[in-house]
Amino acid sequence: METRDPMFDALRIEMDTLDTPRGVEKELMQAFARQFPRKRRWYQALPAKTWALGSSLAAGVLAVTMTVSVLMGPQPARTGVPADGSMSPAAHADDDGLFIALDSLERIEQEPAPRMVETEVPRSSLAALGLPLTPDNAGDAVKAELLVASDGQPLALRLSAVN
Amino acid sequence: MGKTTHTMTASAHFPADADLLRQMRSGAADAFAALYRRHQGPLYRFALLRCGAAEIAADVVQEAFMGLLTGRFQFDPLRGQLQHFLFGVARNLVLKLEEGRRRHVALPPDDDEDAPELPDEQACPLGRVLGNETAEQVRRALSLLAPHYRDAVILYELHGLSYAEIADICQVDIGTVRSRLSRGRAAMAKRLAAWHKLDMVQA
Repeated sequence: METRDPMFDALRIEMDTLDTPRGVEKELMQAFARQFPRKRRWYQALPAKTWALGSSLAAGVLAVTMTVSVLMGPQPARTGVPADGSMSPAAHADDDGLFIALDSLERIEQEPAPRMVETEVPRSSLAALGLPLTPDNAGDAVKAELLVASDGQPLALRLSAVN
Repeated sequence: MGKTTHTMTASAHFPADADLLRQMRSGAADAFAALYRRHQGPLYRFALLRCGAAEIAADVVQEAFMGLLTGRFQFDPLRGQLQHFLFGVARNLVLKLEEGRRRHVALPPDDDEDAPELPDEQACPLGRVLGNETAEQVRRALSLLAPHYRDAVILYELHGLSYAEIADICQVDIGTVRSRLSRGRAAMAKRLAAWHKLDMVQA
């Protein structure tokens, strides 16, 4: 039978308290991040033209419509689709959803620590940005990811569940 | 060791190492972190007792996991446990570090069981590692064993591995492990008794 020598008891107890210095894990995780670089976020992959079209006007429109919708409750259905059926120049649609730029490309690029906030936006409040609105869907909420600067300023919006 | 036992028990309830490795290879950072947290402790303690220096032990752990990440060290789950594989990697890394010292200090080759045990003073170049006096004395006595004895004693006495597991890690047969363990323990007991006698005289 394999038995352990009591001569090592004190050493066993003492060694049990030791772990690798914390810095090692940090360095390894940094190495992992270099080995497997993260997929570019949707807002980083948008064409520059889309961002260029985004403007403080769009931010203003969105902020106003969102504030109004919160304060006034559901609004009567109306359509924001332009006569020719196209979207607002501040919006850009592709396979991943509808993107709405709320600030300039330069502002986005210079933001040191952007963060994502998941939210829901009343569909009616987005009509002014060109989101198609019908009497049937006017009361819906749209799932959205809001890109926010470190100072709380919204930078961009992605609507991920738009029909 | 307590933590080792705990880790072994815990791993039965959490994702298996092989699953975590698969996830890690497909880019899951949390899987890599989980593997690291599961195995870093035993590996660090092995390396620390094996080389006697905290900084070198940390480097050994880092290099072992870096090798796992980059594919430099290829682990095959069909050939055993990840922890034993990592012990083997750490042992080889420490041996590599000791190669420089071997040029200056003639150590007995690993397979020469009849060779006299030479104290490896170079293996314990640093000062105190542990706070507890008794534990530190045992550590010092351990550090003065020849490296091939030290491997067996550390893995058996401190990590609770079986003769067969140690034989696999050290790439020797079970009889050799048993012999090294017996000789290592005897040499340590002799040295500790001598130090104890010296302490009594000085007191």
